[in-house]
Order: sequence, then C-alpha cells, then structure tokens
Amino acid sequence: MKILVIGLDCAAPEILLGDERLTHIRRLMEIGCYGRLESVIPPITVPAWMCLTTSQDPGSLGVYGFRNRSDYSYDGLTIVNAKAIQELAIWDQLAREGKKSILIGVPPSYPPRKVNGLCVGCFMTPNPATVTFTHPPELQAEIGRLLGDYPVDVKGFRTNDKAWLKEQIFAMSRKQFQLVKHLLQTREWDYFHFVDIGLDRVQHGFWQYHDPQHVLYEPGNPYQSVVSDYYLHLDQQVGEILELLTDETIVLVVSDHGAQRLDGGFCVNEWLVREGLLVLNEYPTAVTPFNQLDINWEKTKAWSEGGYYARIFLNVKDREPNGVVDQADYEPFRDELKARLEATVDERGQPLGTLVFKPEEIYRTVRNIAPDLIVHFGGLYWRSIGGVGYGAIHTRENDTGPDGCNHAQYGGFILAAINLPLQAEIRGLRLLDIAPTLLELAGYDVPGSMQGKSLIAGLALDALPASGLTAAEEEILRERLSGLGYIA
Amino acid sequence: MTGVGATVMHKVIVIGLDGLEPKIVEAMLKAGELPNLARLRAQGGYCRIQTTYPAQTPVAWSTFATGVNPGGHGIFDFLSRDPQRYLPLLSLSRYEQKNAFVPPKVVNQRRGTPIWELLTQAGLPSTVLRCPCTYPPEQLQGRMLAGVGVPDLRGGLGTSTFYTSAQGVKAENSEKVLPVEIRAGGAITTQLLGPRQPKGGDFTVELCLQLDLPGQRLLLRADGRPEPLEIKVGQWSDWLKVKFKVGLFQTVKGMVRFYLHRLAPTFEFYASPVNFDPAAPLFPISQPPEYAAEIEARLGSFYTQGMAEDHDGLINGRFDESAYLAQCQLVLQERARLMAYELDRFSQGLFFCLFDTPDRLQHMFWRFGEPDHPANGKGAPPELRATIGEHYRRLDGIVGQALSYADDRTLVIVLSDHGMNSFQRGLNLNTWLYDHGFLALKNGARPGEADNDDFFRHVDWDRTRAYALGLGGLYLNLCSREANGIVPPDEAGAVKANLVKGLTGLRDPQRGQVAVTSVLSREQLYTGPYLGEAPDLLVNFSPGYRVSWGTPLGGVPAGLFEDNVKKWGGDHVIDPALVPGVLFMNCPFKAAGASLPDMAPTILAALGVPPGPAMEGEDLRL
Repeated sequence: MKILVIGLDCAAPEILLGDERLTHIRRLMEIGCYGRLESVIPPITVPAWMCLTTSQDPGSLGVYGFRNRSDYSYDGLTIVNAKAIQELAIWDQLAREGKKSILIGVPPSYPPRKVNGLCVGCFMTPNPATVTFTHPPELQAEIGRLLGDYPVDVKGFRTNDKAWLKEQIFAMSRKQFQLVKHLLQTREWDYFHFVDIGLDRVQHGFWQYHDPQHVLYEPGNPYQSVVSDYYLHLDQQVGEILELLTDETIVLVVSDHGAQRLDGGFCVNEWLVREGLLVLNEYPTAVTPFNQLDINWEKTKAWSEGGYYARIFLNVKDREPNGVVDQADYEPFRDELKARLEATVDERGQPLGTLVFKPEEIYRTVRNIAPDLIVHFGGLYWRSIGGVGYGAIHTRENDTGPDGCNHAQYGGFILAAINLPLQAEIRGLRLLDIAPTLLELAGYDVPGSMQGKSLIAGLALDALPASGLTAAEEEILRERLSGLGYIA
Repeated sequence: MTGVGATVMHKVIVIGLDGLEPKIVEAMLKAGELPNLARLRAQGGYCRIQTTYPAQTPVAWSTFATGVNPGGHGIFDFLSRDPQRYLPLLSLSRYEQKNAFVPPKVVNQRRGTPIWELLTQAGLPSTVLRCPCTYPPEQLQGRMLAGVGVPDLRGGLGTSTFYTSAQGVKAENSEKVLPVEIRAGGAITTQLLGPRQPKGGDFTVELCLQLDLPGQRLLLRADGRPEPLEIKVGQWSDWLKVKFKVGLFQTVKGMVRFYLHRLAPTFEFYASPVNFDPAAPLFPISQPPEYAAEIEARLGSFYTQGMAEDHDGLINGRFDESAYLAQCQLVLQERARLMAYELDRFSQGLFFCLFDTPDRLQHMFWRFGEPDHPANGKGAPPELRATIGEHYRRLDGIVGQALSYADDRTLVIVLSDHGMNSFQRGLNLNTWLYDHGFLALKNGARPGEADNDDFFRHVDWDRTRAYALGLGGLYLNLCSREANGIVPPDEAGAVKANLVKGLTGLRDPQRGQVAVTSVLSREQLYTGPYLGEAPDLLVNFSPGYRVSWGTPLGGVPAGLFEDNVKKWGGDHVIDPALVPGVLFMNCPFKAAGASLPDMAPTILAALGVPPGPAMEGEDLRL
C-alpha cells in the first residue's frame, strides 16, 4: 500500500472534524477512522512534524522548538534546521525497503532532505528565489516552469494588512497544492507527505475575527469567514487530490497541533522580575526585547524565552557562566518555581490554569540542552511574552506582531484505507502513534526506535477486494437490473 | 387553422406517448373515439413512423433526441454486457467511482448530440420532461426532469417490498418479502428497506403499523413523522418521506407509497420502491438541480423513479389489476399536471413531455384482448378488455389540453416510439445456441438444470462461440474482445453467417409458426462511432414471440420455446418493421418513409436551427 499524508499545520479538530460543509473530509471520516490527536509538548510545528514522522518525542530528538540553546551561555538560541534531525523517519524506513518518498514542505526541510525521491523545502527556506530548496536540485527548475515563483511562506504574516494577508496565503496554498497534484500524477511514489502551512498562517492572522469567544472578536466583521473559508478551500483541494488516487493508498489527513483563541500575553520575564528571580540593572523605559535588557546575572536565578509557550532557564552554578543556583538547590528551587508558575493568575486574580513541565518527566530521553521548565500559560490560551517594560504582567499586545490564536494540545486526524479495520471515532491517539500505524498498515517493518503504538496493533487487516464475481456482487448486479420488466 | 408549413415557428410542442400502437389508434380514430388526435390529423397529418432496431424505449427515444441511429448514440438495448466478465449491465447509465475515497458519479451512457444541446447553442430554451436516457440530466438552457433510467434508492430500476403475515412466501422478481407478526391489538413493527449497506444488509427505517379491521385501514407511523399516515384497504397511500441514516454523517432521503391489499385473513401490504426525494435526490435528476424541488413545491410529491409504474407488484400477485390501473392513473395525472404547469409558462423553443403509462399499461393488459393468451389461465374479467381503449381516450384528452397551448406559430407533434403487440411465446436463445453447438456448458451441465437461470453460470467459455444477452442481441465470443474469446476475427463472418442461417425463419414446432423473421448484423443496422458496442447480431421476432424471460440475463433454460404465462403479456420487442409508432403533426408532412431520426431535424428546422452534423433524417414538413 502507498501512503499519502496531507498535513494541515495547526488544523483544529473542532473545525476539521466538526464542519459538515467539508464534504470530502466527511467522506474520509465516513469510510475510515478519525479523532483528536494529542500533540507533543510543546505543540509546535518544529518539532511536531518530525515527532510524527519519527515517532520520537522532542526530548529524544533534542529539539524543543524552532530555537534551541546550543550551549550554556546567555547568548540566546539558535534556529534549528533540517540537518538537526536525523532520526529514522517513515521515509527512511521506506528507503531501506527500496521505496520512494516525496516530501513537500514537511518542517523542517531546509536544507532539503536528501531522501530517496523528492523533497521540496518548507517555510523555513530562506528565499526560494536565491537558494536551492529542492532535492534533487533539478526539480526546482521544473517547479519554476510549472508555477513561476514558488512561495514557501507568507513573509511578514503578522501584519495588520489583513486583505493582503488573506490573498497571499490563499495564493500560496493554491500553488503548493498545484505542485502536489502535479507530482502525484507525474512521479512514482510510495510515501507522499505534504504540509500546508497556510492554515497555520490564516489562523494566527484571522482567528480573532472567527471565534466569538476571542477578546477582540467583533460580530459582523469583514473577515469573519476567512478561517472557515480556508478550511473549505482545503476540503476542495483534498477532494481534488482524492480523485487522483488508487484504492491501494492509505490516506491520512492530519494536523501537528490544534488552534485555540489567544486570551492575551503573559509577560513571563516581567513576572520573574517581580518575583525577584530576574534582576535588572535598570528597568527599561520602553518595552524591550529580552536580549537587549541590562541583566544582573550575578543576582538572577531564572529567565525565560517567550513565544507560544515559555522556556524557563535556571542560572545554575558551574553550568551557566555566572550561575547562582547551587546544584544542590537546583531541584528544590525548580519545584518551587514550578509551583509558583502553576499558581499564576489573570488580571482579575483568577487562576490561569498554567501547565508546567519538567523535561525529564515528559520525555523518554533528554538530548541537547532542554529548558529547565516548559510552561503553557493558561493551558496555551495565553502567549508567553519575553520582553520587559510593559509595566504589567498581562498584556493584550504581542511582542512579535498581531496574533489571533495560539496552538492547542490536540490536533486532529482522519485515516482511511480499504484495509483499515477501524471505522469509528478513535480516542486517545497520540502524535507518536501515527508513524507506526502507517507503517504497519502499509506492510512495512516498524523501526525499534519508534516510541508510539500502532493503532492497529493486534488487529487483523481487512482483506483487499477479491477479484471475480462474489455472491454479493451478483445480487447487487441483479438488483440493479431489477424492475426492468422485460427480464425475469 | 391550416397547416403551418415549412416556416420558422417560435414553439415546438412534442407529446410523447410511449408504446402507442398504430392499429389501435387507427381503429379508434375511425370510430371517432380520439377527437383531439383526429383534429391534429386534420390540421396536418398522421402516419406510422418507423422505429429503431430494436424497438425499445431507451433506444428509440435516444434516436428521437439525437437524430442518429443507435450507432451514433450508443444505446442498443436496455442491457449491455461486460465482455471481460460476460455479465449483463444496465446500458442506460453507469456509476463511476475512481477509488474508495471519492463518491460514485453517475454517467449517462446515451451519447450523440441531443436537440436541446443544439438549441442551447442557438440560444433557444427547452423544457424536457421525462425523456428516457437523460439521467443524469445534462446542462441546457431551460429545464429538464430525467425519465427512464432514474433508479430507486437501492440503485435498481425498482425493488418493492411485500409485507405479509403468511408463512413461507418466496420473493419473486424485483422484490423483497418481509414476514410480519401481528401483535395483540393489531400492531406490527417492521422496516422499510433503504439503500444497501456497503458490507451487506440494508439501511432501514422502522415502520409501526396499527391495523384497524373495522375501519378497513391501517395507521402507519415512521420516525420523524408527527401524524400517522392513513392507508385504506384497496387504496394507494400518499407519499411517505423517509430518511435513512447511512453513515455517521450522511442521511439519504427517499419517499415511498404503500398499497394495502388486505388486512385479513392474511395481512398483505405493499411498499413501492423507495424513490429519490425530489428535494434531495441521491444523484441529480433535474437541470437546474433544484428544479425537481420546485416541481414538488408547486405540484406536490411525484414519482422520480424512471419506471414509475409498479408492474412487478402486479406480476408477482401482490395486488390486482385495479390497483395497478389506479397507480398508472396516479402517474398519468401527475405527469399531466406537470405538463400543464410547464406549458403555462412555455413561450419559446422546445417543449417535450413523455407519458410512459400507455406502454406500461399495455404490457400488463394486452393479454385481455387475446382469449388464447397463455397468461389468461383462469379466464380474464371481460371489463379489463376495455382498459387500453379507455387509456387511449384519456391520452387523447391530454393531447387536447396540449393543443390549447398551440398558436399559429407552434409546431405540435404527437409521437410514439414504437407500437405494441402480443407476447405469447418466448424463445430460449441461449438454449438454441446450446442445441446447435454454439454455446457449451461445463461439467456436463444441462439447460434448465440447477442454477442455470442467469449470468451464464455454467457456460464453458473455452468452447462457446456465441451467446445471447439482452432483448434479442447475440454476441460472438470473439478473441481479444471477450475475456475468453475463442472465435478468431477471420472466422467471425462464418460464425455469424451460420447463426443467421440457422435462426432465420426458425419455427415454433408447437404452433407451427415462424418465430424469427430475420437476424441482422450490426453492420447492416448501424453506423457511427459506437457501432463497436452493439450486439454482433440482432434477432427479430414475429408478432406473438420474443426472447424468453430467462434469455436477457444469460440464462440457459430447458426447452426451446415456452409459453409466456406472466401477466406481462404484451410486448414490442419484435421485428421493428412490425411495430411502428404513430406520428401526428399539425402541419402537412412527408409521411412516406417517416422514421424516428427525422424528428430532430424537423424540430430544429421548425425553430430555425440547422440539424447537427451527424443527424441522418430530414425535415419532414412540406
């Protein structure tokens, strides 16, 4: 069996599985199984897609987000690239068995992965006009002939020019789907994986216009339907792709994480300052990014990186250059800090419901330099703001530009194949379960490095349709002719 | 009004009367029983019109619509075959499903260019009501409601359900039998059968029946319906709309009509095939798609199924002739209402409306005109002999109604696709082929044995040179065409010649009559791009004869000839030269040699539009 993965970055299961207008998606749900899909911590595009394709958790990959600490200095984080993740992925297992893969926009895929087949770079490609973003490189010229400029992302998607943004995202997605359909039809493949990044961009840009519970939502606003229109667009594209398949294909529509409204920003370093854990030589007069703050490291016990979630780092003696937390105090202090973070409240003093994780407790192994704590403020209804100078803990602003939604812990999936023995809503499936499920369903070996559990483990696969006329087919044939009158 | 002549009209009204028989029409005209048709004849003229080979509804109306012989539109019979699997297929449409992930699409198998397509190109509107082989309807300027070819909700042309308290009742043709148990107080809980489930079984809707013996009626409740449906003994019910939940997210809507045959001593209750709901058809049945819903909103629910008349209910003995007749009247009345509704707003272009009931009624009532008909075992009630004539008079009334919409720039055409004749004896064509060494059976199987009744079950293809399928078609088991073809192309001519020689003039030994008038090759009959899909040979029968019931689906019954004891006692699938249709026009026209392919050029020319390049006939108007 061939495997087709249609990745919808950030697709919210509430919409993907709940909007009855998505007729092609509905049909897949009808013939297969579907449900919410628990993402990894943190539920972020990088590393989530690689967790899905390698069935390894972020700690085992040693990748805790787009940006990671490369050493224990205070010099900030470095951006991950495709080379940082070399663990055995689905396509590697297929290559071992001599099979071909096509990857389009599976993050991170810059520089393009040298797979047995084709790879087209993801949104992390610096500038598709000036760099090589395909493997093999010749593919790039073919894409140029077919589509002209190939957009890998909408640069500057955190903008207030919503009309422009909407047009850019739809145009990008249409071009990418055109490439998908072109390669589906013109190339041999055994594994095909595309990730539409446009959905993530649309939701970050337009969720506040879509969700009545969003603090910025205004009824009747002109962008009210942009998010759901984009899902309709995706459904239409999925429908066109399905037309191109054969029965011997496993189809997975899947998201790496979900989406949910953003209630506000929690200024985590501001909070650490107030708690006396982050000490500044001078409190800034204006909002200032963390890396431009004048920090007194000798007195600082913890600091944080912002983003969709917070990464808290402790300033540990003999680990960081100016560490102050004794190794012996590390665990008690971390526990105390965890408890204090979990007790954070909103502007009105109500508990935020903040989730705090210790890496070694949630990952099978912890490679490279993990944050000391990972924090989901308000269960990710709150973004983490790294800058200081707001004069408050809570803000409706975002330090990196307007944003309407945050990621949610649960994405969604729909899996359909003629040999799939499950036709139902599935509960409890996790992102890491996807790769072993696909490999087992398609009849490949599942590498021992994969941590998830196959959804179909222990189940007998449905038989592929037999050739020849079965009694049931005969009856159908007879009934189709029945009522004619002229025949017995 | 005098004849409208060969000038350009602004309207053409075509009333199709399926299966109207010239001999009956002519006799009734002579007797002054068809005043409106007589008026039409006086305004213009009347003649017998040559039908297609073979004389079958979908073949003939497709030729009417496209102006080409069947080789140009691809409909050669109700049935076609899959040469790879030697299986009969319904030829009118097919369902395409590219893979398991996309829904099936229905594709009309009638090809060629119909009149309304040319009119649309010329900017003229058409209203096309219930023309056979218009499922699914094509886009056109105007409106279209599909006719013969639209299936029921189970995908066939009509599967009914018979509910009975009697034990051991076996399902006959095209029906399901559900035994019911009457609980104390006269309550029955049973099911309406909907679409089939993909992995076996049926989707159903629960029906709760409350019998009322003193009131000679029952009350039916189905979920979602606030008021019970009252059904009286000996009457057809109103439509019941039903919803089948066919998946987690999908419901399929349909509608059904019931006939309560009797409450006691055995309970016998009939449910029609479940028709598509006009407001939410499973596949498109109208153009524009919402047109069917509009008709329903304006005129009430109506039969959407292509073959609306429940002839199998009568054949299977689930109700009697009066019930069948009543149902035919319901169909006729709703069609007449639709015709009037559309003619009220028809001002330009083509109007076409087909009335199917004369064909379906004559099939079932023909035998009453023949005292010696084998199906009249117990003697036919004499009053039933008058039914066909009465029906013709009703149709004449409908023609009169249509004529009232014609002005002096309207061409009016009344047309039947073929006539009707007797069907008393059937020929087991595959058995003849077996007897004469063209068809072999495996493992010593004999005709008529075991399950030899359809699908060529025991045919030994490695030793078979020809097989019969459909209503008179013969196919060679040709190398590189059929899956197990054994006749090399260079021997095909000789095999065909032997078949023609052996079958032409074949006599029915019991009656001493010639049963087969001719056997013609497809090259003699057809030209055009779809010639290759036609049967290799077509067997033409004398009046009174037809292929037997077991032949069309590939049965090899015992014996060569058999009596037709079914109530379906009239038929028209005989030598087409012997079952012409009727043609009336309100302008003088060339009657000599008039043939169905002439109709499209005539209609187009009347509207000032040149015929399509493939059209074979000519403008008949003088």
